[in-house]
Amino acid sequence: MRHRYLILAATVSAIVLTFSVSMILLAAQGAQTKAPAPAAPAAGRGQAAPAPAATPARGQAAPARGQAAAAAPARPARIAGKPNFNGLWQALTGANWDIQDHSSEPGPFYQLGAILAVPAGQGIVEGNEIPYRPEALEQRKKNRLNRWTADPEIKCYMPGIPRANYMPFPFTIVQGTTTIAFAYEFATANRVVRMTNHQKAPVPSWMGWSNGRWEGDTLVVEVTGNNEQTWFDRSGNFHSDALKVTERFTLRNPDVIDYEATIEDPKTFTKAWKISFPLYRRLERNASQLEFKCVEYTEELIYGHLRKPTN
Amino acid sequence: MRHRFLRTAVVVVIAMAAVSLIAVPIVAQAPRPATKAPAWTPPKTPWGDPDLQGIYTSDDYIGLGMNRAAQYGNRLYFTDEEIAAREKNIEATAARDAVEFATPGGNVGTGPPGHWGERARRSPRQKSLITEPENGQTPALTEEGRLRAAQYTRQGAGTARPEDSWEGYTYYIRCISRGIAGSVIPVIYGNGTEIVQGPGYVAILQEMVHEARIVRLDKSPHTGSNIKTYMGDSRGYWDGNTLVIETKNILGNKTGIGGNGGGTPFSEDAKFTERLTRTDKDTIQYTMRVEDPRTYTAPFTFTFPIRREPGYQNFEYACHEGNHGMMNQLSGARADEKAAAEAARQNR
Repeated sequence: MRHRYLILAATVSAIVLTFSVSMILLAAQGAQTKAPAPAAPAAGRGQAAPAPAATPARGQAAPARGQAAAAAPARPARIAGKPNFNGLWQALTGANWDIQDHSSEPGPFYQLGAILAVPAGQGIVEGNEIPYRPEALEQRKKNRLNRWTADPEIKCYMPGIPRANYMPFPFTIVQGTTTIAFAYEFATANRVVRMTNHQKAPVPSWMGWSNGRWEGDTLVVEVTGNNEQTWFDRSGNFHSDALKVTERFTLRNPDVIDYEATIEDPKTFTKAWKISFPLYRRLERNASQLEFKCVEYTEELIYGHLRKPTN
Repeated sequence: MRHRFLRTAVVVVIAMAAVSLIAVPIVAQAPRPATKAPAWTPPKTPWGDPDLQGIYTSDDYIGLGMNRAAQYGNRLYFTDEEIAAREKNIEATAARDAVEFATPGGNVGTGPPGHWGERARRSPRQKSLITEPENGQTPALTEEGRLRAAQYTRQGAGTARPEDSWEGYTYYIRCISRGIAGSVIPVIYGNGTEIVQGPGYVAILQEMVHEARIVRLDKSPHTGSNIKTYMGDSRGYWDGNTLVIETKNILGNKTGIGGNGGGTPFSEDAKFTERLTRTDKDTIQYTMRVEDPRTYTAPFTFTFPIRREPGYQNFEYACHEGNHGMMNQLSGARADEKAAAEAARQNR
C-alpha cells in the first residue's frame, strides 16, 4: 500500500514540477514577445513581464475598487440620485427546481445518471410554506406528478416573473431614468419597467406588465397582467391570471442585490407570501450575456408527430 | 399568432408595393443633393451620453424595397411630385382601413382586414433602402453566396414542400429569430424598437419575436469567436452624437437581408456596423453597413429613419408560445395527404 502512495506522490510531484517549469518558460517567452522593452532583464524568472497597467479585466470594475481601465468608463455608483443596478446578474439558488426546500431526487432519464438528477436545495419562500387554497393545492400536486411534461420551461416558453429572476441563466439590467430594461438570456425573454407613465397592463402576457417606483434606494416593481400559463418552478408551483408580483431590488453592495417579491393571487392563495434571495453580479472576465434561443430544441417535441413520414 | 395570415399579408404587401410603383409618375429629374441632417443637438442622459431613448417604428418605410428600381439609376430621392402622389395613396389606404364592414356582395378574401397590419404615415423620401453602392442595388453574390442562395431556395420552395417539416420554414416563421439585419428592416407589422440606455449600456428591444439586444459601451472585447449566436455579439461606442454598434460572431447560413431575415443567408464571417443618429425630437436615422465578403462581392449600406409616433408602443410578441400557424400548416398538410391517399385507394 505504502509503495502505491509513494509512486503516486512521485508522479504528482513530477507533474507539478514539469508544469511549473513549463509555466516559467512560457512566462519568460511571454516576457520576451510581449515586452521587448529595453529594460527587461531577469527574464529567466518570468517576472520581467510588466504588470499590464490598468488591465481591463472586467471592463466594469466598480469605482469603489478604483481599478477600472483607463479606457473603460467607470460605473457610477448612482444614476440621477438612485442606486445603479446596471450589469449582468444571476441567482445562485436551486429554486428553479423547486422554490421550497427539497431533497435530491432522480432526473427524468436514468440513462443520464447524475446529469439532470435534482440536487437538494434550500427554498426561497419565506417560512417555506405556500398558502395554497385547498383546490389549488390539489392542482399543485397534479402539476408535480406531471412536471416532466407540463412545465412550460420544457417548451421554451417565456418564464414569467418572478421565475425569470432565479432561472439558472444570467440577465442584464439596463437602467435609465424613465425606463429600466430586463433582458433575460433564457428564451430572450425581456420586459421594460416603466418608471413614469404608469399604465394598466394593456393585455395579459407571459412576462407581465411592469410599473416601477423608488422607495428610498429600493427599486419597487409591480408586475400585473400576468397570464396563467407560467409556473414558479419545475416542481409545479403555479398561479392564476390574478397574479400580482411586487418586487423589491435593494443593493447590498455594488455586486449583490437583495431581491424580494411579494406574491398575491387570491384565486390560488389564501394570503400573500414572499420569496427572497440574493442576485450576484457576474464577475468573470468579460462576462457577457449570451443568447439561449431554445425554441429550436423544442420543435421535435412539439411538432415531431406532424413531420411527413419518410416512407 | 398571426402567422396563418402571413401568406395573405405578404401577397397584399407585394400588391401594394406594385400599385405604389405604378401609381408614381416617373419623372426624370436630377438627383437632389443628399440633404445634410439639420444641426439638432439631442438631449443628454444624466451620465452624459446622447439620449436616444424611446419607442420608434420604421413603419414609414414599409414596402420600400432594398433595391432601387433600375429606371431610377443613381437617383436616391423621390421628387416632391412623386411624394405627393405616394401620400395620396397613403390617404386612400387609411380610408380603406377605416371601413368597418365589408360591402354586401363585395370581394372579401380570407386575409385579415388591412388595419391589422402597420402602415406608413408618410411617404419615404428614398427610393430604396440601399444607399451604398450608389446605384441602390445589393452587390452581386460571390460563388459561395450563390451556392448558399441555391440551397436556401431548394429548402424553402423547391423539392421539399415546407409543410413536410418545420425545418422547411424560415427561422422567423419558426419564431426563433430574424437575425440582426432582418430584425430592423420594415415589414408588415411589429416594426417597433424600444431603446433603453444606462451608463455603459444600450438595450435595443424589438417587438417582433421579442428580440433584446444588449450593446455594451465599455470597450470590452467581443466574446470568443467560437460563440456564435443568431443576433451576434455587439459592442458600441459614441461617435459624436451617433451610436455606432459593431456586431460579429453570428451563426452562419441562418438569416439574410430579405423580409423578416429571409433571403440569401449571411456567412458566419459577416460583420455589421450600425449607426443611430437622432436627427430631431422624434426621429433616429438608422444605418447598417454589411460586410460579408464570403457572401457578397462588395460591402453595402442601407438606411432609413425610425420615428416616434403618437400612441405607438410595443407589446409582448409571444411568437413561439402562440405559433398555432406552424401547428395548423403541418397538421393541415398531413390531413391533405391522408385524404389524397384515401381517395387514391377508393379509386383503385
